[in-house]
Amino acid sequence: MNETAAATRVLYESTVTGVGGQVEAFLDHGLLIFFRDDSPKELHDISVLHRPTVSDEGPQAGDTIALGGQTMTILAVGDVVADNLLNLGHLDLKADGMTEPKLPGDVCVEPQSLPLLKAGDSFRIIRGGTTEVAS
Amino acid sequence: MSEYKSVRVSKGRGGWGGPLTITPTDDRPLVASITGGGIHPVAQRIAELTGGQAFDGFSSSAPFDKIAVAVIDCGGTARVGVYPMKKVKTVDVHATSPAGPLAQFITEELFVSGVKLEDVEEA
Repeated sequence: MNETAAATRVLYESTVTGVGGQVEAFLDHGLLIFFRDDSPKELHDISVLHRPTVSDEGPQAGDTIALGGQTMTILAVGDVVADNLLNLGHLDLKADGMTEPKLPGDVCVEPQSLPLLKAGDSFRIIRGGTTEVAS
Repeated sequence: MSEYKSVRVSKGRGGWGGPLTITPTDDRPLVASITGGGIHPVAQRIAELTGGQAFDGFSSSAPFDKIAVAVIDCGGTARVGVYPMKKVKTVDVHATSPAGPLAQFITEELFVSGVKLEDVEEA
Protein backbone atom coordinates (compact mmCIF):
# COMPACT_ATOMS: atom_id res chain seq x y z
CA MET A 1 0.00 0.00 0.00
CA ASN A 2 2.56 2.50 1.13
CA GLU A 3 5.41 2.01 -1.33
CA THR A 4 8.56 3.87 -0.58
CA ALA A 5 10.55 4.66 -3.71
CA ALA A 6 14.31 4.73 -3.58
CA ALA A 7 14.70 8.46 -4.15
CA THR A 8 12.37 9.73 -1.47
CA ARG A 9 13.81 12.02 1.15
CA VAL A 10 12.18 13.12 4.37
CA LEU A 11 12.71 16.88 4.74
CA TYR A 12 10.74 17.24 7.92
CA GLU A 13 9.40 14.71 10.37
CA SER A 14 7.53 15.44 13.55
CA THR A 15 5.11 13.97 16.04
CA VAL A 16 1.96 15.75 17.14
CA THR A 17 2.00 16.44 20.88
CA GLY A 18 -1.25 18.35 21.25
CA VAL A 19 -4.12 20.02 19.40
CA GLY A 20 -5.51 23.42 20.42
CA GLY A 21 -9.16 24.04 21.15
CA GLN A 22 -9.73 26.24 18.09
CA VAL A 23 -8.09 23.91 15.57
CA GLU A 24 -11.30 22.11 14.70
CA ALA A 25 -13.05 25.41 13.89
CA PHE A 26 -10.25 26.30 11.47
CA LEU A 27 -10.71 22.99 9.63
CA ASP A 28 -14.00 24.42 8.35
CA HIS A 29 -11.90 27.10 6.64
CA GLY A 30 -9.61 24.44 5.14
CA LEU A 31 -6.81 25.59 7.40
CA LEU A 32 -4.40 23.85 9.74
CA ILE A 33 -1.84 25.86 11.73
CA PHE A 34 1.24 24.12 13.11
CA PHE A 35 3.64 25.34 15.76
CA ARG A 36 6.45 23.58 17.55
CA ASP A 37 5.36 22.79 21.09
CA ASP A 38 7.83 25.24 22.67
CA SER A 39 6.03 28.14 20.97
CA PRO A 40 4.39 30.85 23.13
CA LYS A 41 1.34 29.63 25.04
CA GLU A 42 -0.78 32.31 23.37
CA LEU A 43 -0.54 30.35 20.14
CA HIS A 44 -1.46 26.94 21.51
CA ASP A 45 -5.21 27.42 21.19
CA ILE A 46 -5.08 27.80 17.44
CA SER A 47 -2.30 25.32 16.72
CA VAL A 48 -1.43 21.72 16.15
CA LEU A 49 1.59 21.40 18.43
CA HIS A 50 4.38 19.05 17.53
CA ARG A 51 7.97 18.10 18.24
CA PRO A 52 10.22 17.53 15.20
CA THR A 53 12.91 14.87 14.92
CA VAL A 54 13.97 15.87 11.38
CA SER A 55 14.07 19.56 10.45
CA ASP A 56 16.27 19.77 7.35
CA GLU A 57 14.56 21.86 4.74
CA GLY A 58 11.35 23.72 3.90
CA PRO A 59 8.91 22.35 1.32
CA GLN A 60 8.52 23.26 -2.33
CA ALA A 61 5.72 22.68 -4.82
CA GLY A 62 5.52 19.01 -5.76
CA ASP A 63 6.61 17.73 -2.36
CA THR A 64 4.27 15.52 -0.37
CA ILE A 65 2.89 16.35 3.04
CA ALA A 66 1.72 13.43 5.17
CA LEU A 67 -0.56 14.00 8.16
CA GLY A 68 -1.19 10.77 9.96
CA GLY A 69 -2.42 8.49 7.17
CA GLN A 70 -3.46 11.27 4.78
CA THR A 71 -1.03 12.39 2.08
CA MET A 72 -1.35 15.40 -0.20
CA THR A 73 0.75 17.02 -2.89
CA ILE A 74 1.93 20.55 -2.23
CA LEU A 75 0.80 22.96 -4.96
CA ALA A 76 2.41 26.20 -3.81
CA VAL A 77 4.72 27.50 -1.08
CA GLY A 78 5.08 31.11 0.12
CA ASP A 79 8.38 32.94 0.57
CA VAL A 80 8.57 32.79 4.38
CA VAL A 81 7.44 29.18 4.80
CA ALA A 82 10.92 27.68 5.11
CA ASP A 83 12.01 30.21 7.76
CA ASN A 84 8.78 29.72 9.69
CA LEU A 85 9.07 25.95 9.62
CA LEU A 86 12.76 25.61 10.44
CA ASN A 87 12.87 28.39 13.07
CA LEU A 88 9.49 27.98 14.74
CA GLY A 89 8.09 24.66 13.56
CA HIS A 90 5.36 26.86 12.11
CA LEU A 91 3.34 26.14 9.01
CA ASP A 92 0.00 27.39 7.68
CA LEU A 93 -1.53 24.61 5.59
CA LYS A 94 -4.41 25.66 3.34
CA ALA A 95 -6.58 23.30 1.32
CA ASP A 96 -7.46 26.10 -1.10
CA GLY A 97 -6.19 24.65 -4.38
CA MET A 98 -4.09 27.75 -5.08
CA THR A 99 -1.05 27.34 -7.32
CA GLU A 100 0.27 30.77 -6.28
CA PRO A 101 0.27 31.36 -2.54
CA LYS A 102 -2.06 34.15 -1.47
CA LEU A 103 0.07 34.95 1.57
CA PRO A 104 3.82 34.49 2.10
CA GLY A 105 3.27 31.98 4.91
CA ASP A 106 0.94 29.69 2.96
CA VAL A 107 1.44 26.09 1.95
CA CYS A 108 -1.36 25.23 -0.49
CA VAL A 109 -2.81 21.81 -1.33
CA GLU A 110 -5.87 20.60 -3.25
CA PRO A 111 -9.24 21.38 -1.68
CA GLN A 112 -10.06 18.49 0.68
CA SER A 113 -11.02 17.79 4.26
CA LEU A 114 -7.90 18.21 6.34
CA PRO A 115 -7.59 15.75 9.22
CA LEU A 116 -8.16 16.72 12.82
CA LEU A 117 -4.89 15.38 14.16
CA LYS A 118 -4.29 13.98 17.61
CA ALA A 119 -1.29 13.50 19.84
CA GLY A 120 0.94 10.76 18.50
CA ASP A 121 0.10 11.35 14.82
CA SER A 122 2.98 11.99 12.47
CA PHE A 123 3.56 15.13 10.39
CA ARG A 124 6.03 14.67 7.54
CA ILE A 125 7.21 16.45 4.41
CA ILE A 126 8.68 14.21 1.74
CA ARG A 127 10.43 14.95 -1.53
CA GLY A 128 10.85 12.81 -4.61
CA GLY A 129 10.04 9.17 -5.14
CA THR A 130 7.24 8.24 -7.47
CA THR A 131 6.64 10.87 -10.13
CA GLU A 132 3.11 9.67 -10.74
CA VAL A 133 0.98 9.20 -7.68
CA ALA A 134 -2.36 7.55 -8.32
CA SER A 135 -5.03 9.75 -6.85
CA MET B 1 9.80 53.82 39.26
CA SER B 2 10.28 53.26 35.56
CA GLU B 3 9.99 56.06 33.06
CA TYR B 4 8.69 55.08 29.68
CA LYS B 5 8.73 56.98 26.42
CA SER B 6 6.48 56.61 23.40
CA VAL B 7 7.35 55.54 19.90
CA ARG B 8 5.38 55.85 16.71
CA VAL B 9 5.46 52.81 14.45
CA SER B 10 4.41 53.39 10.84
CA LYS B 11 3.73 50.88 8.11
CA GLY B 12 6.60 50.18 5.75
CA ARG B 13 6.58 49.64 2.01
CA GLY B 14 3.61 47.51 1.02
CA GLY B 15 2.49 47.39 4.63
CA TRP B 16 -0.93 47.88 6.18
CA GLY B 17 -2.46 49.54 9.22
CA GLY B 18 -1.16 51.85 11.88
CA PRO B 19 0.49 54.09 12.70
CA LEU B 20 0.62 52.81 16.26
CA THR B 21 1.84 54.72 19.27
CA ILE B 22 3.52 52.35 21.69
CA THR B 23 4.00 53.33 25.31
CA PRO B 24 4.95 50.62 27.80
CA THR B 25 3.63 50.98 31.35
CA ASP B 26 4.46 49.32 34.64
CA ASP B 27 1.49 47.03 34.01
CA ARG B 28 2.48 46.33 30.42
CA PRO B 29 6.27 46.60 30.25
CA LEU B 30 7.08 43.92 27.68
CA VAL B 31 8.12 44.30 24.07
CA ALA B 32 7.52 40.70 23.06
CA SER B 33 9.42 39.34 20.07
CA ILE B 34 7.37 36.42 18.75
CA THR B 35 9.82 35.72 15.96
CA GLY B 36 12.05 32.83 17.04
CA GLY B 37 15.82 33.06 17.06
CA GLY B 38 16.01 35.72 19.76
CA ILE B 39 14.92 39.36 19.88
CA HIS B 40 14.15 40.81 16.46
CA PRO B 41 15.99 44.12 15.74
CA VAL B 42 12.66 45.95 15.39
CA ALA B 43 11.65 44.75 18.87
CA GLN B 44 15.08 45.69 20.19
CA ARG B 45 14.73 49.22 18.81
CA ILE B 46 11.22 49.68 20.24
CA ALA B 47 12.49 48.51 23.63
CA GLU B 48 15.52 50.83 23.53
CA LEU B 49 13.51 53.89 22.56
CA THR B 50 10.65 53.31 24.99
CA GLY B 51 12.47 51.86 27.98
CA GLY B 52 10.32 48.75 27.67
CA GLN B 53 11.66 45.29 28.33
CA ALA B 54 12.61 43.28 25.25
CA PHE B 55 11.33 39.76 25.67
CA ASP B 56 11.81 36.61 23.61
CA GLY B 57 8.37 35.05 23.37
CA PHE B 58 9.85 31.74 22.26
CA SER B 59 12.19 31.28 25.21
CA SER B 60 9.62 32.03 27.88
CA SER B 61 5.98 32.90 28.08
CA ALA B 62 4.29 36.16 28.97
CA PRO B 63 0.63 36.75 29.72
CA PHE B 64 -1.16 38.84 27.09
CA ASP B 65 -1.91 41.55 29.62
CA LYS B 66 1.78 42.24 30.27
CA ILE B 67 2.62 42.90 26.62
CA ALA B 68 2.93 46.51 25.43
CA VAL B 69 3.51 45.36 21.88
CA ALA B 70 4.05 42.06 20.10
CA VAL B 71 6.58 42.03 17.25
CA ILE B 72 5.95 39.17 14.83
CA ASP B 73 7.36 37.94 11.51
CA CYS B 74 4.18 36.36 10.31
CA GLY B 75 3.42 35.45 6.75
CA GLY B 76 -0.25 36.02 7.11
CA THR B 77 -2.51 33.70 9.05
CA ALA B 78 -1.84 32.82 12.65
CA ARG B 79 0.19 35.30 14.63
CA VAL B 80 -1.30 38.30 12.79
CA GLY B 81 -4.62 37.48 14.39
CA VAL B 82 -3.88 36.06 17.81
CA TYR B 83 -2.42 39.17 19.39
CA PRO B 84 -4.94 41.68 17.97
CA MET B 85 -7.71 39.27 19.05
CA LYS B 86 -6.50 39.83 22.60
CA LYS B 87 -6.28 43.60 21.97
CA VAL B 88 -2.49 43.52 22.02
CA LYS B 89 -0.84 46.01 19.66
CA THR B 90 1.00 44.07 16.98
CA VAL B 91 3.88 44.98 14.68
CA ASP B 92 4.53 42.62 11.75
CA VAL B 93 7.94 42.93 10.08
CA HIS B 94 6.46 41.34 6.97
CA ALA B 95 4.12 43.37 4.76
CA THR B 96 1.00 41.38 5.57
CA SER B 97 -2.60 42.50 5.15
CA PRO B 98 -5.46 41.08 7.19
CA ALA B 99 -6.51 37.63 6.01
CA GLY B 100 -7.55 34.27 7.34
CA PRO B 101 -10.11 33.30 9.93
CA LEU B 102 -8.77 35.83 12.43
CA ALA B 103 -8.88 38.80 10.01
CA GLN B 104 -11.93 40.26 11.73
CA PHE B 105 -9.79 41.12 14.76
CA ILE B 106 -7.09 42.95 12.82
CA THR B 107 -7.67 46.70 12.81
CA GLU B 108 -5.55 49.74 11.95
CA GLU B 109 -5.60 50.74 15.62
CA LEU B 110 -4.01 47.45 16.69
CA PHE B 111 -1.91 46.30 13.77
CA VAL B 112 0.81 47.66 11.51
CA SER B 113 2.89 45.69 9.01
CA GLY B 114 5.90 45.89 6.72
CA VAL B 115 7.77 47.57 9.55
CA LYS B 116 11.52 48.15 9.25
CA LEU B 117 13.87 49.78 11.73
CA GLU B 118 13.41 53.21 10.12
CA ASP B 119 9.64 53.01 10.61
CA VAL B 120 10.09 53.19 14.38
CA GLU B 121 10.48 56.80 15.57
CA GLU B 122 10.41 58.62 18.86
CA ALA B 123 6.97 60.11 19.35
